Amino acid sequence: MIFSILEHILTHISFSVVSIVLTIYFLTFLVNLDEIIGFFDSSDKGIIITFFCITGLLFTRWIYSGHFPLSNLYESLIFLSWAFSIIHIISYFNKKQKNHLNAITAPSAIFIQGFATSGLLNKMPQSAILVPALQSQWLMMHVSMMILGYGALLCGSLLSIALLVITFRKVGPTFWNKNIKTKNLLNEFFNFNILYYINERNSILLQQNINFSFSRNYYRYQLIEQLDYWSFRIISLGFIFLTVGILSGAVWANETWGSYWNWDPKETWAFITWTIFAIYLHIKTNRNVRGINSAIVASIGFLLIWICYFGVNLLGIGLHSYGSFTLN
Amino acid sequence: MILTLNPKILYFSKAHHLQSPLSRPYPYFYRPRNISLITNCNLQKPQDGNKSNRSITKTISLSDSAPPVTEETNGDVSGSADRSGGNSGGGGKEGLGFLKRIPRKVLSVLSNLPLAITEMFTISALMALGTVIEQGETLDFYVQKYPEDNPVLGFFTWRWITTLGLDHMYSAPIFLGMLVLLGASLMACTYTTQIPLVKVARRWSFMKSDESIKKQDFADSLPRASVRDLGVILMGDGYEVFMKGPSLYAFKGLAGRYAPIGVHIAMLLIMVGGTLSATGSFRGSVTVPQGLNFVMGDVLSPIGFLSFPTDTFNAEVHVNRFTMDYYDSGEVSQFHSDLSLRDLNGKEVLRKTISVNDPLRYGGITIYQTDWSFSALQVTKDGEGPFNLAMAPLKINGDKKLYGTFLPVGDTNAPNVKGISMLARDLQSIVVYDLEGKFAGIRRPNSKLPIEIDGMKIVIEDAIGSTGLELKTDPGVPIVYAGFGALMLTTCISYLSHSQVWALQNGTTLVVGGRTNRAKNDFPDDMNRLLDQVPELIKTSVD
Repeated sequence: MIFSILEHILTHISFSVVSIVLTIYFLTFLVNLDEIIGFFDSSDKGIIITFFCITGLLFTRWIYSGHFPLSNLYESLIFLSWAFSIIHIISYFNKKQKNHLNAITAPSAIFIQGFATSGLLNKMPQSAILVPALQSQWLMMHVSMMILGYGALLCGSLLSIALLVITFRKVGPTFWNKNIKTKNLLNEFFNFNILYYINERNSILLQQNINFSFSRNYYRYQLIEQLDYWSFRIISLGFIFLTVGILSGAVWANETWGSYWNWDPKETWAFITWTIFAIYLHIKTNRNVRGINSAIVASIGFLLIWICYFGVNLLGIGLHSYGSFTLN
Repeated sequence: MILTLNPKILYFSKAHHLQSPLSRPYPYFYRPRNISLITNCNLQKPQDGNKSNRSITKTISLSDSAPPVTEETNGDVSGSADRSGGNSGGGGKEGLGFLKRIPRKVLSVLSNLPLAITEMFTISALMALGTVIEQGETLDFYVQKYPEDNPVLGFFTWRWITTLGLDHMYSAPIFLGMLVLLGASLMACTYTTQIPLVKVARRWSFMKSDESIKKQDFADSLPRASVRDLGVILMGDGYEVFMKGPSLYAFKGLAGRYAPIGVHIAMLLIMVGGTLSATGSFRGSVTVPQGLNFVMGDVLSPIGFLSFPTDTFNAEVHVNRFTMDYYDSGEVSQFHSDLSLRDLNGKEVLRKTISVNDPLRYGGITIYQTDWSFSALQVTKDGEGPFNLAMAPLKINGDKKLYGTFLPVGDTNAPNVKGISMLARDLQSIVVYDLEGKFAGIRRPNSKLPIEIDGMKIVIEDAIGSTGLELKTDPGVPIVYAGFGALMLTTCISYLSHSQVWALQNGTTLVVGGRTNRAKNDFPDDMNRLLDQVPELIKTSVD
């Protein structure tokens, strides 16, 4: 009884804190950022509170259910939300470089938690008993690695989607449509400066020819580069987790089902996801290919993760049917 | 390989000899622990001595055991990657020699990255299709599901499925062919692209001109600094540092360059292991009531043409006991089978209680606990018996099992014989119905509590379960596991960045340049942090 009360409290705290954080994010987008810089900082602290709440929640479930809290979809969603918050915290403490991860992780965390706690999945929050096949130490390694991998890959592919959105969005009507005359000139200027930037890699020179449109283009370019870089790094990290997760799952399957690979739908989709992100990493090795191509692959990967994580469970087919659920 | 130094570089090399008389004609190292490298340099020593005399041309031998010191003329390592890729035949002589006979054209086509990416996409698409189309059904099923008069998406009918073998996707020729092609691409890519790249990365290349250093991704010049201080600081940050005169070359995370090769080799290992599993395995499953035995060879049936039985197949398995654990809610928590292995002489060689997740392994054969069944019910009627009533599965809907049996009462030869029905979901409790089919009660086996039906005293003595075992041999597992281990390790190592730093002392000015292959955004920050530590020289060392 006391455990379920504790669990309720922790769920509500984490959910409301993340909602507040998200509100702060939207505020900082709407209002001038400099005025409420303190707000921005507080949102990071909010995520840290959320992180501790979810950790507490998971531990509570672990203690009273007696097994690692990753036996059904609700628990794995909470764990995914936890993975997002831990990615956020890592990027928060790694303050050497400003990156845009926190704009991805916080909303992701709240959406996933909101989905997990919403009435959509009733019956799910109850901790289920473990079927014989799940009673193994591999459960901890396999599922946690898979969920961490999903979390990191989702983050990375969301960054890539952001890159695509920024790349294909019209740069803003202010100077593109106003006078077409300067358009070509600006274009050339922009290209020239990018080349100049690449050659010299010296940001000081940019201050010499500061110019509104140029600096805007430059920041856009820089933002795209940053997004490209961070999505690459995070997808590489997620790829490691996914690899370890799939392989530990294969070893576990060899202990339980008698074969390390059964072409079970979930396995197959995890392998498809793995292949897509392997393609992403291969495209990345080629310097001549622009970031857009790899970003398109990463956004395909985003869809595939959801198919793998949710779609297969929704159908409730195959050997991985423990996490299956029915929508009410 | 003969490198001709152009006059410009010659000028620089002369200049540094003039500027720093203290610099030695052979490289020396900050790290004495790197013994192999030191011997290597001693070997190079006479050659370097010659070089100071005739520095226009010099011969650099490419050997695999000792990475030689080369002088990069243009500072573009990736440029020379293609060059050494062109004449890398000498390096592949061990083991990969047979690949030389394959026409170079085929190799270059296979190692083409877009082709490999297309292959991966195709494999993914086929696998996805395999999860959408129901696998392993009868022809009638597909004819009904994908009728010709109403094709899915306007063209997809059951004829596609039967022609392409999509009903057994993961063993269909089209799928296996793609996998073979991907394997060939993996090998070709490793051979033509990755190994040459590593060869270049292994070569320590000093840069002899400011321009080539400044061309790097990161470049900076320190007005008053010493190259030796930089060397010490780089070493403190985990770099391997090599110095020759005014030039410095340092690298870190070379494993990050090697690891992608390891990833490819691991993938190939897994493919080889998978092939061996598919061609050399035996499989079989058996349901054995408690107390009975079976010979393993009778159960196992070969999968492929490489499946050869061994002596262990003659061993006999005896099921001593089969039990089930239950949660408080009544659901099954675990199955246990106490198995004894007996050899041809009937001697027990191994005894183990297996459960799900804890199989028995003996002589290459693995016995898994996978299933269970209700074999028989032992009852006594009015003290007579015990009778063994065979339980029949009544309705199997998913995992929910139901077994039933019937104890005839009275004249068994009568046309409509009446009796007591007993139903059970598991070995825990038996539901008993009387002659009229009405509910009479629930009894647990072993409780010895009689149930009275029409004056008859029925005692359920015991419930005998049978264990569902799965047996297999798989010669591919060790190879596949080796591949798994290698893949995990090399994928992790691949995350590391291979960073290279070059520096050149030019008077009192130190020109530093560097680049990295993965953590590109962190690298300038790391370098700036390191360069901040380089002490400023108060008095110039070259005076």
